[in-house]
Amino acid sequence: MASIMTLPASGTLTRPEGDRSHIGRLTVIGLVFALLAAMVLSMTTGASGASAINLIGSWLGLVPADDPALLRDHAVIVNIRMPRMVLGVLIGAGLAISGLLMQGLFRNPLADPGLVGVSSGSALGAVIIIVLGGTALAPFTSAVGIWALPAAAFGGGLITTTILYRVATRGGQTAMATMLLAGIAIGALAGAFSGVLTYIASENQLRDLTFWGMGSLAGATWIKVLAAGPIIVVALAMAGFLSKGLNAMTLGEATASHLGVPVQRFKRLTILAVAAATGASVAVSGGIGFVGIVVPHLLRLVIGPDHRYLLPASALLGATFLLMCDALSRIIVAPAELPIGIVTAAFGGPFFLWILLHRRSAFAW
Amino acid sequence: MIAIDSIDVTVSGRKILHDVSLEAPAGKLTAIIGPNGSGKSTLLKALCRDYAYTGTITLDGRDIAGMSAVEIASQRAVLPQSSNLPFPFTVREVVAMGLTAGRPGVHPRALQHLPEEALARVDLSGFGGRFYGELSGGEQQRVQLARVLCQVWEPVVDGVPRYLFLDEPVSSLDIKHQLMIMDVAKRFARSGGGVIAVLHDLNLTALYADAITALREGRVVASGRPEAVLTDEVLEAVFDVPLRVGVAPRVGSFVLPQSVGQGVAVEVA
Repeated sequence: MASIMTLPASGTLTRPEGDRSHIGRLTVIGLVFALLAAMVLSMTTGASGASAINLIGSWLGLVPADDPALLRDHAVIVNIRMPRMVLGVLIGAGLAISGLLMQGLFRNPLADPGLVGVSSGSALGAVIIIVLGGTALAPFTSAVGIWALPAAAFGGGLITTTILYRVATRGGQTAMATMLLAGIAIGALAGAFSGVLTYIASENQLRDLTFWGMGSLAGATWIKVLAAGPIIVVALAMAGFLSKGLNAMTLGEATASHLGVPVQRFKRLTILAVAAATGASVAVSGGIGFVGIVVPHLLRLVIGPDHRYLLPASALLGATFLLMCDALSRIIVAPAELPIGIVTAAFGGPFFLWILLHRRSAFAW
Repeated sequence: MIAIDSIDVTVSGRKILHDVSLEAPAGKLTAIIGPNGSGKSTLLKALCRDYAYTGTITLDGRDIAGMSAVEIASQRAVLPQSSNLPFPFTVREVVAMGLTAGRPGVHPRALQHLPEEALARVDLSGFGGRFYGELSGGEQQRVQLARVLCQVWEPVVDGVPRYLFLDEPVSSLDIKHQLMIMDVAKRFARSGGGVIAVLHDLNLTALYADAITALREGRVVASGRPEAVLTDEVLEAVFDVPLRVGVAPRVGSFVLPQSVGQGVAVEVA
């Protein structure tokens, strides 16, 4: 047995076997650059031929600023592409993190807001505002303004997550089947209420609901960024404090508390963060699925399940993934565009099936 | 000193522990024995605050009910009966979780290699890179012990003793590792820390315990030094089996852990 004293002091010479923290750090750094590249791509692709390079040139004084084409480009880039890009980053990060947090909370790699009914709950909140916001709930909507939609979606997500946790978790143990089935039931119930509201909706509201529900970043505006952004940023910041607790929770609730995690407070914070990130994302983008399950899963294969690296990496890859899907949705059927939810589902569905198949082989997940 | 003062524990409407008291001083290995369902694990869970209890439990004179989770984690570590992990952690990553939680009490520079040191202590050197889920039950149990050891590596820090709570630490181990793990626990106690262990094997209990508390149907039947508790009368009262202490069977073969090394000792003498 080697004595502690004789081992190298700095530890850089010998990396302990099974220590993957260096991979985690490198991955996070690499993903920062990947996200930057995706952001540039998102700013430079689109139906119009607007050139971001010309715009930057004009700021530097290289292109005459009164060029009419430039003014049009300016409008396209600053008022359409840029809020869309910012919203894509926020929502991608928010969805990936809420998936990761739920997986940690339920100690289950298949937990995802979209799969277990949390998104449906958030959607119900949003539908209530869209349909009743002008009439029955007018006092509420006029009081909180642009935040009415995200706030209602947050409330819906919070209620469904809490119910799900109460139903599926007994004595700190979550049964996988119970969780998934409870999620289906809760999702169906929320869907039923949404259906009733859709039934009584006016024609204009119906159109709003349809476009919103398909899941899209197309209607991105700075107003939406302002409405959803702060909530998602707060959720991401909260998640940052939860990584140690999430690691300990994988050993079970009792062991987490033995390791010094204030478990009840930890669970409340996690549920709040999940509801906030999911609610705000659903409110402004409708149903964008699978980000929360694909992204953390892929990263676990690369860097392992240590949440200290998994959290930042998931936020970064989630944002990058959504921007890439968004770019794809704009290119595939240009000049029209696909709702982004279709693109993420096209990637996520098969990936999810692959996970299920792969899991059968012993311990691959 | 861990002092349990007449606690009652009720789980889902059923009273599991009745007026149980127990003192486990630092520097000693205190064993809890008793038949299945006698409340051994319940007692340990109350001690860990997993179950609500009435009565008082103090840790070095402080009521644990008023301590924060972090405070307690820096003074005692708990080995659970079994742990399965939902995510693919490596053995080293599991052991290193003990570092982020408690207060190992070693120099920060040594911290980095503490998981390897702990794995060596439980005879799992070189297992760091393996996936936890791929190990056998006994190996997983030793990995958990390595994690627990990391949490309170130094048995005494700044003159304050720390404690290990072990719930059937050797239940799924072979005889070599049973002895090895009990040696680790004993060494922790000899160095000034306190150990409370739920044990099933009466011979290992006799071999390692400094004090024994015997439970039956949630009540303390006997408590004290091993010689005082491991008697024919107490064992029969606790386990409901007419056992005889210190009597070798007249027929058939038997193996006692106490015999380890004795063949050699005879030859040398």
